Amino acid sequence: MTDRIVFENVSKFYGDVLGVNRVNLSIPPGITSLVGPNGSGKTTLMNLMTGLIRPSHGSIRILNVTPDQPEKLFHTVGYCSQFDSLPKTLTGYQFIYSYLQLYGFDSAASDELAWRAIDRVGLREAAHRKAAGYSKGMRQRIRLAQSIAHNPRVLVLDEPLNGLDPLVRAETIALFRSWAEEGCHVILSSHVLHEVDIISDQVILMSGGYVAAEGNIQAVRSEIQDHPMQILIRCNRPGELAARFFGENHVVEVRIHNDRRGLLVKTSDPDRFYLLMNRIALDGFSVESVAPVDDDVNSVYEYLIGSKEVTQ
Amino acid sequence: MAVYKRTYRAYEGEITPSWSRFLVLYRFSRRNLFRSKFQTAFFVLCFFFPVLCLLGIYANSHLSAFSFLGNRGSPFLDINGSFFVIYLSVQASLAFLLTAFIGPGLVSPDLANGALTLYLCRPLSRTEYVLGKMSVLLITLSWITWLPGLVLFFVQASLAGSQWMFDNAWIASGLVIGSLIWILVLSLLALALSAWVKWRIVAGALLLGILFLGAGFAQAINAVLRTQQGYIFDISKLISIVWHDLFRDAADQPFSVTEAWIGLLAFAAFSLLLLMRKVRANEVIR
Repeated sequence: MTDRIVFENVSKFYGDVLGVNRVNLSIPPGITSLVGPNGSGKTTLMNLMTGLIRPSHGSIRILNVTPDQPEKLFHTVGYCSQFDSLPKTLTGYQFIYSYLQLYGFDSAASDELAWRAIDRVGLREAAHRKAAGYSKGMRQRIRLAQSIAHNPRVLVLDEPLNGLDPLVRAETIALFRSWAEEGCHVILSSHVLHEVDIISDQVILMSGGYVAAEGNIQAVRSEIQDHPMQILIRCNRPGELAARFFGENHVVEVRIHNDRRGLLVKTSDPDRFYLLMNRIALDGFSVESVAPVDDDVNSVYEYLIGSKEVTQ
Repeated sequence: MAVYKRTYRAYEGEITPSWSRFLVLYRFSRRNLFRSKFQTAFFVLCFFFPVLCLLGIYANSHLSAFSFLGNRGSPFLDINGSFFVIYLSVQASLAFLLTAFIGPGLVSPDLANGALTLYLCRPLSRTEYVLGKMSVLLITLSWITWLPGLVLFFVQASLAGSQWMFDNAWIASGLVIGSLIWILVLSLLALALSAWVKWRIVAGALLLGILFLGAGFAQAINAVLRTQQGYIFDISKLISIVWHDLFRDAADQPFSVTEAWIGLLAFAAFSLLLLMRKVRANEVIR
């Protein structure tokens, strides 16, 4: 699978400190979010992907490139760390240009690639200003530009939305989406779960160095049997509908909504529940909407990791 | 996503050879080097003594021009190993001071900003990073030590004749080897201090402290234990023994040249060890 990031039984220990343990992943192109509390192993996983550290056990292949091929690997991967590593004396352009030279691009290619990256993050006007005079959002964007400047196929971004105002945040998310649509891998870590929900094609939930779950968030949610799925139904006769649901053995709980125009149903078998809903619709109930309310990252995170530490 | 929809295209142009990448670090560090007027002025001042030596060598071989001073034609300078030991001692002291100004600012900002992660996620190894940073000192200090020294040597050779040059070729090799070992020890020491001490001024002061306190500590050991072995902690004494040997300048020394070489290389190795412990892509906080 040449277009995947593959972790095979990867463990990383820093002496006796656990980084990550027995990680098996196969990440397809698109936006993948790493979610987990502090110390759960997100940054270790990112460092492993970027070739900054080597696994204690197991193997990693980034689009079929192993860390034993550093020249190839580092041209494939772009990394934006969480640190504000902009030297104050350099301009934004010089910052990107100098790092491009380290990749081995000559002056003309470095210049062209630097401007292309600067244009992509919309900082052409400020490119020749000293980084010391940049706002937090501009610094974040120029750091993003340095990570994409060498045209990598895999982008690893540690907390890329931190410190951005809502407008720039929306622009940055659109940028991630455009990279993903080009066929690139965008791997990002974030503490803002509702944003992860909106932008991610798949999520990796980390806890204590282990992968608690991975994949499309709805698919992950459907795998969690311990917590019945909560579904909100907006309809004209919620009382009658509730009575109908009580006869089904997969329905665990039914509550009528406060505005009395809908009801919240908890079911242990969503598939059977949706089949039931089809029959109910034929029986003359006017159903306005049927929507699951706990198949988002926030709920899945809470169910699997059992903490609200990262939620905001 | 369907493969045909993917618009990503990788860079397909030429890239520079990987061995030359460390020079990128040198080029960008050099820019900052002469930003300070004081450092620039000090660097220029470092050429004062070589120019003075040059004038001395020239005057020494054109004595008739100075007959009005009562000189009867005998050379007033012996251009030999001792002359170059003095030359190198002065220039090495200036090199030490210049290192104390430049060295501390080389690694500490990268560590403070977390920039090492960015360097090392590019095709640049830790060794190349250290080499890149060290080359700033290696090249800058070369400009004020062995390079002007070789100019003096060849000027003297051109004035005294080719026979003098062949007879004294060991002076040239002494200049290069003696300077390079001093530059190597200084560079590694300065980079190690820069990596471990965040504040530039403190790191610079520590570098000076290692030289002067090391000499003081050596004297204290010698006095208390009634020995000469305490000099092993005095870098200036160690390098002095090596220089006197390289320039065939007889002097009473507390221990052998081999021991002095081992002492200097041990200093360099210890500094390198300290440096490499800090130059890492990630730091584990227990």
